[in-house]
Amino acid sequence: MHTQDFPQLTSVQVIKDGFESFGYICSDKIATAVYLAFKLRKPVLVEGPPGVGKTELAKTMAQLLDTPLIRLQCYEGLDEAKALYEWKYGKQLLYTQVLKEKLGDLLHGAQGLAESVQRLHQFGDIFYSEEFLEPRPLLKAMQQERGAILLIDEVDKSDYEFESLLLEILSDYQVSIPEIGTIKARSAPMVFLTSNNTREISDALKRRCLHLYIPFPTVELEERIVRSRVPDVDERLRHQLVEFVHSLRQLDLKKVPAISETIDWARSLLLLHTDKLDEELVRMTLNVLLKFEDDIEATDGEIVQLVRQATES
Amino acid sequence: MPESLVSFIQVLRTRDVRISPAETLDATNVLAVLGWSDRARLRDGLGMALAKTPEEEAIFNQCFDQFFARQLADFSDSSENEPAIEEEDSSAGDDPTGVDSDSSRAELPSPLEQAAAADPALQAVVDSPLVQALMNNDSNTLSLAMSKAGERAGLQNIQMFTQKGQFTRRILEAMGEEQLRSAVIELEKANSPAQAQLQRYRDILRQQVRDYVEAQYLLHAEGKTRQFMEEVLSKTRLSNIEHSYLHRVHELVRKMARKLAARHSRKRREYRRGHLDMPRTMRRGVVNDGLMFDVYWRRTRREKPQILAICDVSGSVAAYAKFLLLFLYSLQDVLPRVRSFAFSSHLGEVSDLFEQHPVEKAIELVNWKYGGATDYGTALGDFASLALDDINSNTTVIILGDARNNRGDPRLDILQSIYQRSRQVIWLNPESRIAWGTGDSEMLRYQSACHFAAECNNLKQLERIIDQLLKSTR
Ligand SMILES: Nc1ncnc2c1ncn2[C@@H]1O[C@H](COP(=O)(O)OP(=O)(O)OP(=O)(O)O)[C@@H](O)[C@H]1O
Ligand SMILES: [Mg+2]
Repeated sequence: MHTQDFPQLTSVQVIKDGFESFGYICSDKIATAVYLAFKLRKPVLVEGPPGVGKTELAKTMAQLLDTPLIRLQCYEGLDEAKALYEWKYGKQLLYTQVLKEKLGDLLHGAQGLAESVQRLHQFGDIFYSEEFLEPRPLLKAMQQERGAILLIDEVDKSDYEFESLLLEILSDYQVSIPEIGTIKARSAPMVFLTSNNTREISDALKRRCLHLYIPFPTVELEERIVRSRVPDVDERLRHQLVEFVHSLRQLDLKKVPAISETIDWARSLLLLHTDKLDEELVRMTLNVLLKFEDDIEATDGEIVQLVRQATES
Repeated sequence: MPESLVSFIQVLRTRDVRISPAETLDATNVLAVLGWSDRARLRDGLGMALAKTPEEEAIFNQCFDQFFARQLADFSDSSENEPAIEEEDSSAGDDPTGVDSDSSRAELPSPLEQAAAADPALQAVVDSPLVQALMNNDSNTLSLAMSKAGERAGLQNIQMFTQKGQFTRRILEAMGEEQLRSAVIELEKANSPAQAQLQRYRDILRQQVRDYVEAQYLLHAEGKTRQFMEEVLSKTRLSNIEHSYLHRVHELVRKMARKLAARHSRKRREYRRGHLDMPRTMRRGVVNDGLMFDVYWRRTRREKPQILAICDVSGSVAAYAKFLLLFLYSLQDVLPRVRSFAFSSHLGEVSDLFEQHPVEKAIELVNWKYGGATDYGTALGDFASLALDDINSNTTVIILGDARNNRGDPRLDILQSIYQRSRQVIWLNPESRIAWGTGDSEMLRYQSACHFAAECNNLKQLERIIDQLLKSTR
């Protein structure tokens, strides 16, 4: 993809505008990462707390470039057969049966065993050709004629062994399949890897990527995100609710609210036809923001104070 | 590759940001794509290529600002623009060179300019780029000249604060301060009103260079001093490390652990593809008239290695146990299954403490709970009843202790049965080998039931042993 011209990617500002037109508000830093990923032909490893838009970034990228999004969701035990390719064993076996029936014709006239073996041998290779290959997401991404966005989501959930599989693919955009040889990408995909940091990603993998850490957004940025996702929310309320969420993030909670929760909350408040935050409203809807009963209880005593801060700021 | 980028990367390395040649190349490409014009953007971009964790990013940002944003303080002086008292102005008007432009004529000449007009030698000094930059408050030119002079003087090699004066002098010299000084002296002799003005420029220059050297010292030398400290600490006997350095040692252990974790996670590519279960597939095929439609898979499931760490936390050994535990628990990413046990007179499992508390806190609790006089025999007995059944060929047992049993029954038989069941038994003894077996030390007997026994009393040794351990448990 990196050799093609994408007018959508000509500068950092153009990228920002493009993403915004698809509802994704990005900081300078995010846009710079996208720009460099394209220019330098490098995968981006996106890290950050849950719900800051890591996955959404890749999805929006696919929309922006109008290319297919190919997603590989990682989990413990994910292996090559699920991620890269698999042989179509069923098909191979079926063909063996067919071959068995044709065996007589095939070997007709063969001079002795050696020649028979020779003739049979040609077929062995056929069974291990691309014809019988079942591509999984990684291979599929490399087979796309016009390139693709490859999203390797939550790579920290996979095992270390799986990471080493990614190394070859991410540095050379090619895979080697022992029976066939090396398959090169028709057009190198743009790769996004995400991680929630449940474990350290290996150095080797990190070295192959640009590293983008997305923190929780600033108040200003988050207000723009809310405006983009829930345009009907009144401006004053929008400011207040974002301020409120920001002060919640300062508390010692099991799980602090992410951007997606802010958005959900904005939607809920919109349904309640309100244009400013008050204590009762917050109590009524707090479970949209906080997912743990413990957190809701811990916050209870603070609400008056937090609402005052948010409405005064 | 731009030299400034190279030395910036050098600085990052002294601050423990690990940067490989590949990343250096990426940084060069980032620079080529983004250019110097937008500093904030360049910072973002280089950060993505060079910093790989949020901590590294914080360090990176700090260094970047110190290194590249050499914005000099504004040193313009308002008194400079005060109109000089109008006096006879003949000589300036008769200036034979006639280079005075209209704009400079618009302002009245300062005492310095007047004096210079009368004295060609002084005029040359005033016309020098250095004095021009000072007079025009041109911080860009000045900082460029300063960093060039700094590079030539080898400022990036500054190591100690005592060298600051020496470097300041060298840089001033390289920038041409000497001429400025003689000119000031000449003016002073002539009792010229221009003397004060030139002296002020000279003071400004000296101050700027001092600040610059100070900043570079902080940037370059601090990291090196720390590296030196760490080198020393890692070779110091752990029980001798002064309390005031302990936090540094903890940091150091974590750093070593991160390094080991990174090294050992870079495992060779390994195929985890399952194998076609041929016998089973064919057996099913028989039913279908030899047509093998249903395919069966045999998955390779590897048992994960397990580590059981047994630590003597009695007075004599506690300091060492702490570091072993700190190490093991800092390696959770590559050593997923560590169980730990602590003992002095009796033994208990302490894995829970490590799950519920941060490592340092947990270690404190362990010491508090299990400290006391040592009884290896009882401790081994306790251990056997807690964990012997869980030991199998994937288990590595690490024992850390001085094997000094106060002449009690060593219960070698228990260690022997651990030895037979486990994959390996490793004994780490903080005493030096010569002392093994002397007095009440049972080390030589215990050693006979170990796969491997080593002296271990500083971080370097500990690191080496754990490196080995990681290799062998894979
Ligand atoms: N910058 C943004 N602009 C617009 N919407 C955003 C932005 N960031 C996040 N969102 C919204 O937040 C939601 C959550 O984002 P996403 O699922 O991408 O988070 P994530 O970082 O991948 O989280 P997790 O780590 O839990 O997978 C998205 O559906 C999107 O609507
Ligand atoms: Mg996600």
